Amino acid sequence: MTSVVLEDVRKSFGSLDVIKGVDLTIDAGEFCVFVGPSGCGKSTLLRIISGLEQSTSGRLLIGDRDVTHAEPSQRGIAMVFQSYALYPHLTVAENIGFGLSLARRPKAEIAEKVKQTADILQLSHLLDRKPKALSGGQRQRVAIGRAIIRNPQVFLFDEPLSNLDASLRSQMRLELTELHAKLGATMIYVTHDQVEAMTMADKIVVLNGGKIEQVGSPMTLYNKPATPFVAGFIGSPKMNLFDGELAAKEGCRTYGIRPEHILLSETEGKWRGSVRHIERLGADTIVFLEVPQLPAIIVRTDGDRPISPGQTLFATPLQGKEQRFG
Amino acid sequence: MRRRQLYAGISALLASGVIFVFPFVFILITAAKTRQDAAALTFSLPHEWQLWQNFIEVVQTRNYMLLLAYFNSTLITVVAVTLLVLFGAMVGYLLQRRPSHWNTVIYGAVLAGLMIPPAVVPTIWVLQSLGLFKTISGMILIQVAYGLSFTVLLFRSFIATIPRDLDEAAIIDGAKPLQIFFRVVLPLLKPVTVTVIVTQSIAIFNDFTNPLYYLPGRDNVTVQLTLYNFQGQFQTQFNLLFMNILLVTIPPLIVFVFFNRQIVAGMTAGAVKG
Repeated sequence: MTSVVLEDVRKSFGSLDVIKGVDLTIDAGEFCVFVGPSGCGKSTLLRIISGLEQSTSGRLLIGDRDVTHAEPSQRGIAMVFQSYALYPHLTVAENIGFGLSLARRPKAEIAEKVKQTADILQLSHLLDRKPKALSGGQRQRVAIGRAIIRNPQVFLFDEPLSNLDASLRSQMRLELTELHAKLGATMIYVTHDQVEAMTMADKIVVLNGGKIEQVGSPMTLYNKPATPFVAGFIGSPKMNLFDGELAAKEGCRTYGIRPEHILLSETEGKWRGSVRHIERLGADTIVFLEVPQLPAIIVRTDGDRPISPGQTLFATPLQGKEQRFG
Repeated sequence: MRRRQLYAGISALLASGVIFVFPFVFILITAAKTRQDAAALTFSLPHEWQLWQNFIEVVQTRNYMLLLAYFNSTLITVVAVTLLVLFGAMVGYLLQRRPSHWNTVIYGAVLAGLMIPPAVVPTIWVLQSLGLFKTISGMILIQVAYGLSFTVLLFRSFIATIPRDLDEAAIIDGAKPLQIFFRVVLPLLKPVTVTVIVTQSIAIFNDFTNPLYYLPGRDNVTVQLTLYNFQGQFQTQFNLLFMNILLVTIPPLIVFVFFNRQIVAGMTAGAVKG
């Protein structure tokens, strides 16, 4: 098990600064998720760790080794791509064993290791197929197999589940978490999906505009977001954030309250508003409340609560769950 | 509408029959005629069928010159096409995958190769000074030079459709640049490679003018030049000439008939991103 350390890593493409100085330590055996909106630099940061992209300045250590200028294959990493990047002209077995065959290992050894890897990922019956004859989930498993067989110190995942449908995605989330527990390797995972980040990570790194906004465990980020950006990014539906007069009254620059931390009442409460829109999700109902002089407030309430559009309701934030920034 | 389509189809078939099939039938029946019969150059059946005799005579003429020509043409075609595929794919790969300032220069050279007509006499001077004039290797290099621009453009547009992730996955797997090219990229270029092999081998095998300029003499004769065996200033043996035409036309025709589908697939594969 190996740690990954980034020291003041920067990356520019011409005059455009994409990574603006990142300091980060990922502990050995940790499942670390980089999360952030499109264009925040999370994939670039992963590519810098993989060696596919060179940082403009800064240092990168994998274990105790400075690998800032090392070739990708010398870094002890393996990467799973969003598009799976399986070689279409090779069979599943050849895809998984490609790295070993490049290293000119004996055929018997390659076959043995391919078999072991395929057993772990339940791919043994598909070894002779070409990638085009596999389903999305199976392709993803082959891509993971190609990573596992090299026995890397660090696994890198670049949005590996974003091409799968919702049910397969949740199944693969579980499989990846179990795989992490089984292998105990350090894993770095890039996603823009905060559900993946919350469900899989030991540590989440929230990136915004090429800088780290906050690093912490999923529940730390949920309960104690450091900035309004993190507060808005983690949690679904996103936290209600208010600036201006309301925030000033609460003694801060930005005041935040999560939709699930607001109580609704027909008779009394802090904010009086009318229901603009309702989303019934089954277990929950999401209510968009129009309050005079405020942006729409989003409230999560019980699934079977009888509410209709146009109805007048009172909303009250739960004491102790409010967030005050600045 | 359907009836109109039917009539349009039939008339198109008839037109292509007249344009493509009639000349071929004319070659075939003239090749089967006797010398006097063929001299009339009429579109009629031979009075006496002499296909086999004419075939033997054409093959045996000038000490089996046709067989030597077949060997030379095949050698030139195979080596030139191999080099074209190799260099075309490599240059196309580099142009597509590695942006640098040199790319503009290379691209300019490729386009110049397509647009500037070849100048025969200066090329002969260059070949003479290199000691390559009248040699098979010189002819191979000429064919590679003439075909390379088109080949590079075809490969380049096809490589654009191969995801870059594959190259990067191979880099992570520990592949060196040459290994990426030969083990990942080149096998995926199969459709366009078939196109290049078929179009270029037909063009090179059928080439008449370039061997005429750069490969004069009897030692290194190519198939198209053997036509001169039966065509002189004062007399032409049309039956043997047409038999010779028939013999040199058949190999490229067979190649084209068999690979026709792949050629079209390879030509259009780079056009639309799949």
